Amino acid sequence: MKECKKCRALLVEALYGELDSKEQDFFEKHLASCPACAAESEAMTETLKIMDERVRPERDQGFWNGYWDRLSRRMKEEEAVVEEKPRSWAKILGRSWSLRPRWALQAAAALALIAAGILIGRMIFAPRQLPVEASRPAVEAPPVQPGEGDPVLRARNYVDRSKLVLLALVNYDPTSDDPYALDLPLQKQISQQLVNQAGALKSDLKDPGQRRLRELVADLETILLQIANLEAKNDFEAVDIVKQGVESRGLLLKINLSEMGGDPSAAGRGAAVEKPPAQKTKI
Amino acid sequence: MTEEKELVERLSRGDTAAFRELVEAYKKKMYYLAFDMVGNAADAEDISQEVFLKAFRGFKTFKRGAKLSSWLYRIAYNASIDHLRHKSLIPEAAEDVVLDSGRGGFSETRSTADPALTAEIRLLRARVEKALANVSSQERTVFLLRHYNDLMLDEIAETMQISIGSVKSYLFRCIQKLRKELASPGTPSPPEVPDEGM
Repeated sequence: MKECKKCRALLVEALYGELDSKEQDFFEKHLASCPACAAESEAMTETLKIMDERVRPERDQGFWNGYWDRLSRRMKEEEAVVEEKPRSWAKILGRSWSLRPRWALQAAAALALIAAGILIGRMIFAPRQLPVEASRPAVEAPPVQPGEGDPVLRARNYVDRSKLVLLALVNYDPTSDDPYALDLPLQKQISQQLVNQAGALKSDLKDPGQRRLRELVADLETILLQIANLEAKNDFEAVDIVKQGVESRGLLLKINLSEMGGDPSAAGRGAAVEKPPAQKTKI
Repeated sequence: MTEEKELVERLSRGDTAAFRELVEAYKKKMYYLAFDMVGNAADAEDISQEVFLKAFRGFKTFKRGAKLSSWLYRIAYNASIDHLRHKSLIPEAAEDVVLDSGRGGFSETRSTADPALTAEIRLLRARVEKALANVSSQERTVFLLRHYNDLMLDEIAETMQISIGSVKSYLFRCIQKLRKELASPGTPSPPEVPDEGM
């Protein structure tokens, strides 16, 4: 039994003739004395004989004669490809990077991070670029020249500027601690400019629908002329007279009605002392 | 062995003539080993050429004192495995290959004028291929390397990077399985035909 086990361990080598002489002697002697092992060996030998029937398609001589030529051609083709490869920029850069010291790579990475941070920061926190028209201050708008543009718009502008001058005078209190709260020279200067524009403006407001606006401009022109003719220094008595004129003409009320689209001509009738509700006035 | 040493020396110097000698000496062995592994003639030529290209370019990796044939077999075995993995190929039915033999640059190795005998041989070959297909890949590879490519057991162990005990075990189990497969009803006995060489 022990010999049978040893025999079977040698069976594969025996089938292919790979036993040394000592093993071969043992194997042959055992088979001669053991019918089971002999039958096993015989069956496996027969199996291998059947397996010998397998054939691989033989290539003809032409195939083998041309083998070297085909191989040489392929070698040349692949060598050409290998020579082409290092020319690519990616390879060249990759090779040059691989030669850099480690600290250089780290520094480059840090710089790249900083640059990316700056770029992202600018994109997120930079002020929005407004359109040119929107960013231009309203005060920079060119002043409307007499005789230019829509006369109604020019009249509205005229009324607005006049209103500011009148309010400055009406709200002025000579008994206050600050005698220089009213900048009379400036008000005189503005008033003079407005008086200068009034003539052209009135002549442009010829349309019957613009009559009330034209009358308001004329009223303002009168009072503005008084202001322009005040003394250069703070002439508080004269200021009081102008204030009374503004009130008697109901100019501020007319201005307010004009702004609301009402009839400024009705404001002077029995409403001379009415003051604009939105303004803090002192008489 | 002396001739091989001399060849190795010349190859190590990049001698192209030596390389051609190597190719001429091993081209058929590499081709058929690859064919047995992948089961396709075109792929077998491609793989065998790849073996020589790798050998030529990577000759520095050849260890002096090692067997040149073992080194080449190992390259061929690995190239075949890579090829199968890459293409996820299952070797085409070998019986088709056998039936296609004699066309397109192939020649029949064994022929006979007796049509009945030819049919019997073809049937037997189909059974052989079927039996081979029914064993594990490791068993089949060991058997193909030993039985058809004449690699010694230790060479197979070196080629496949397994122990010689494993090689013997795989081979024994493979032959036993083939025996059972071929013993099933319908398997004709090998016909007695004159051997014209394979």
